[in-house]
Amino acid sequence: MRSLSIAWKDFRHVYRNIPALAMMLAAPLVLSLALGAAFGSGSSFSIKPVDTAIVNLDQGAATGGSGAAIGGQNAGATIEQILASPDVKDLVVLKKFATEGEARAAVDNGDASVAVIIPAGLTEAVSSPSGKSASITIYRDPSLTISPGIVSSIVQSAILSLNGARAAAAGAVAIVTQSGNHDPGVLTDAATKTAQAFGQGFQGQPPISIDSRAPSISASERAAPNVASQVLLGMMVFFMFFGASQPARSIIDEQRNATLARLFTTPTSRRLILGGKYVAVFMVVLIQSIILLVVGRLVFGAHWGFFGPVAVLTICGALVAASLALLMISLAKTPAQAGAFSSAVFVFLGLVGGNFVGSVNFTGPFAIVRRITPNGWLLEGWSKALYGGSWGSIGLPVLVVLASSAVFFAVATVAFGRRFA
Amino acid sequence: MSAIEVRGLYKQFDPPKGAVAVDHVSFEIEEGEIFSLLGPNGAGKTTTISILSCLLRPTSGDASVGGSSVLSDADNVKKQIGVVPQDIALYGDLSARENLFFWGRMYGMSGAELTNRVDQVIELIGLTDRQNDRVDKYSGGMKRRVNIGAALLHKPRILYLDEPTVGIDPQSRRSILDGIKDFNAAGMTILYTTHYMEEAQELSDRIAIMDHGKLIAVGSQPELVRIVGEQTRIDLSVDRQATALAEEWRQIPGVSAVSELEDRNLRLLTDDANSLMPRLFESARAMEARITEIALAEPNLEAVFLHLTGRALRD
Repeated sequence: MRSLSIAWKDFRHVYRNIPALAMMLAAPLVLSLALGAAFGSGSSFSIKPVDTAIVNLDQGAATGGSGAAIGGQNAGATIEQILASPDVKDLVVLKKFATEGEARAAVDNGDASVAVIIPAGLTEAVSSPSGKSASITIYRDPSLTISPGIVSSIVQSAILSLNGARAAAAGAVAIVTQSGNHDPGVLTDAATKTAQAFGQGFQGQPPISIDSRAPSISASERAAPNVASQVLLGMMVFFMFFGASQPARSIIDEQRNATLARLFTTPTSRRLILGGKYVAVFMVVLIQSIILLVVGRLVFGAHWGFFGPVAVLTICGALVAASLALLMISLAKTPAQAGAFSSAVFVFLGLVGGNFVGSVNFTGPFAIVRRITPNGWLLEGWSKALYGGSWGSIGLPVLVVLASSAVFFAVATVAFGRRFA
Repeated sequence: MSAIEVRGLYKQFDPPKGAVAVDHVSFEIEEGEIFSLLGPNGAGKTTTISILSCLLRPTSGDASVGGSSVLSDADNVKKQIGVVPQDIALYGDLSARENLFFWGRMYGMSGAELTNRVDQVIELIGLTDRQNDRVDKYSGGMKRRVNIGAALLHKPRILYLDEPTVGIDPQSRRSILDGIKDFNAAGMTILYTTHYMEEAQELSDRIAIMDHGKLIAVGSQPELVRIVGEQTRIDLSVDRQATALAEEWRQIPGVSAVSELEDRNLRLLTDDANSLMPRLFESARAMEARITEIALAEPNLEAVFLHLTGRALRD
């Protein structure tokens, strides 16, 4: 009863302290918002369309020669059309230039991330059965990797189809020649019609395609963790520890305001006083976490996993954060010392435990190192919960976190008793 | 039976080289008595009261409060005492009523008993109209009254008050002193610490004078005054050379003590003020100093302290 009175008094004190509330609730949300904006809050990373300069120097089939357009056009125009097609409008923004120099200058000036330079004899090379060749130049900003890679891939797929058309044309010429007909007009006509047929087939429904499918899963399992939940989780666990240090600091405030000494003159034992403080810190952290979980779900669209494991992990997190915060405060002698000491320890734990990299499942040395921290174990449990983990999968992390909590509280009790002996 | 019995209390902080705050102090306080510890700041009064409140452990010695040892039976001691600390030990963001409820619970009270007692105490300290206001909105005097009220909730047998009138206006001070007399009249034993001689004189059945951690005299006011005999106190202001004059006047027969106060003020004790006065003026003139103000006072605790320590109580 006395412990609950102390807890209630401390609890009300925290919720009347606007700066402390801002630190506990607003800071993790603002940080998550910033990180979410950087990485996107949906189920995947969002990428800005690539500014692409293009210059098409290809004049199509030579007059009276053996060149053949694909699908009735020249090859350069086909590539240009592919890059400008609605299918890739979210990936590529095309800017046309008249000369190769202008296209390169656009990249050099930062107006474009990549330039596609189509050479003059591309159509002729495609339709020439005799083995003429041509090269498309991709001129890229050296500081970028993903954007030029996307454009290169699109151009590469177009080149593959052109090379396919060329191979089909060469095959048609070989068949006509083997039949004894060496008339250049007939050979050219055969090559052109074959290449056109290939091109139409490529532009329409391709005969062979890839159908990529994930295993059939239930609707609840389909709620996989998105970027928002992973980023917010790391922040939430970090600020559980940080947030706990604020109400725990009431011990030092009370010492400074002489109310702690007055408490010691009453028949309320030191253990009950510390117990009351612990309940208050636990409640504050628990409510902070629940608010963050709800806001994360409603505002960021975060998926936290099944209710049961999430509830248990939240309670465990509040328990261990409260006991560690009380331990830190019991070792400090002044508010400044408490602030500096707690901040240093919690930032160190955040870095080692992986709070700043969310719920990513690590392997190797880092996976071992993070297990020396309670927040590392907590994140490990959360990672499993996020991916729909069962009770069994979070069992070990929960046990380790509870044991850490008990040890921290025991040491805090001894430190508190000694300090105020 | 004694309400409090202190035996050879000794407290040294950070032994063996730390400061000795209480130096082998022994005294007894009878049931129903108002007992004052009088002494300047740093005399060891608060340390003594902290040991008797079980806040500090003595380096050696023991004390029995209400028949229980502060060393071996702290829980029983705490149940019998109410402590009014020197500092305002309240929660500023709670109202007076909320504070009293909280402190009542810390003494194990609850339910109707606590509610009734809180109502009584709020009336007793005269804060019925302001009981729901936050304490940090109160004046210094009102805070002091709540500070005292919080120690009265569980109706303690023994009440400790550690300099409860520091920094408040005369009206609040009068109200507190009258309240203490009422608590005592209701049967409460009072241990009161102060460095104001007038308060100790007005309130106390017996007074213990402390200085530098030592108890230098214990007794009722008449008993203590008898230590210095019927000596008269003379307070003088001079225009210069107070230190040189003090040295000179110590040599004059009939002067039993001289202490130098601040701002060129001097205090003397003498058996015969009438015959001494002309010699003081003569001596000042010889040293080319001028006495600008003079006041005579009959023997009191101030004179006792000056007699015993060679210093004024406010030094």
